[in-house]
Amino acid sequence: MRRTVTLTLMAILAAPGMAWAAEAAVGDLPKAFAVLAAGIGFGLAAGLCGLGQGRAAGSAVDAMARQPGAIARIQTAMLLGLAFIESLVLFVFVIAVILLFVKS
Amino acid sequence: MELIEHPPILRVPHIPDQVLYMWIVMAVLVVVAIVATRRLQLVPHGTQNMMEVILEQFVKELDETIGHDGRRYLPLIATLGLFILTSNLMGLVPGLVAPTANLNTTAACALIVFFTYHWIGARKQGVIPYLNHFAGPVPTLLKPLMFVIEIISHCARPLSLSLRLFGNMMAGHILLAIFFFMMGLDGMLGWALSGSLGGILIGAPATLIMVVFVVGFLLPLKILVALIQTFIFCKLAMLYIAAAVEETEHH
Repeated sequence: MRRTVTLTLMAILAAPGMAWAAEAAVGDLPKAFAVLAAGIGFGLAAGLCGLGQGRAAGSAVDAMARQPGAIARIQTAMLLGLAFIESLVLFVFVIAVILLFVKS
Repeated sequence: MELIEHPPILRVPHIPDQVLYMWIVMAVLVVVAIVATRRLQLVPHGTQNMMEVILEQFVKELDETIGHDGRRYLPLIATLGLFILTSNLMGLVPGLVAPTANLNTTAACALIVFFTYHWIGARKQGVIPYLNHFAGPVPTLLKPLMFVIEIISHCARPLSLSLRLFGNMMAGHILLAIFFFMMGLDGMLGWALSGSLGGILIGAPATLIMVVFVVGFLLPLKILVALIQTFIFCKLAMLYIAAAVEETEHH
């Protein structure tokens, strides 16, 4: 029951988008795909970066709890690691911005 | 970018924005340096005190990362750090441009670090032994492979160094711009300033709420990002120099 309602709602919500998309000229297609690619790509990158950074930060907190004396050094290492993980997302971010602002 | 971002307040024709604002950062740093060192005192106060506190942090990090020889590289690291920190913080002021939110500026900084640490390494241990170190401690048969991999990884360093700083600053700008744009700050502000009753009753409080939200939540985040990115840039530069210098010691 609930699934039917959800699917119907999704179809109703998607219908104007589809109708609007059908009106779009063929020349707009590359731009539409660029926007799609930017959104999906950045979502993937951000989500996986969250997983990676969560692991890193969790391990760092674990280590800090075991060795309170080494908090300063662990913190530095954690920041460096987080920066490395984050830089991969920023590559995707730059590509997404290029895709969004490209003139097709 | 012009669509959603307000153009900077100060503009000179034929000069790119980031170059102009980089000159402003340089002028600010030069003035601060002159003021701080004009009358050097044994017991510092005022500007000299502040600059000493900041530079002591750099010295501490250098001692920790490179070792007792690290203070030789204080001018390079501290100059880069102060320049990047000032530029990052300047981007938080509305109407000013952060020079580091442009890839050209950050790429320049990263390339300086890249060439400098290779120069330091080559000078410390000679060109041939330094190149030999790229191959690493592996059997002779694998050395060409390791050499190529190391070269690629070294070339990726300035790329990631510049893109990390640029991406962080740029993302902050776009985030702020999109927040203001999507909350309709322009419309609300115009309504509040139009003088009508609805504008005064609804537009003014709405504008106030938006500004308080952004200033209260997003600006602290951006200040944190500015400081952390400066720290990471300097720390990575130190680590690269340390890796280039360190290899001499056990040979």
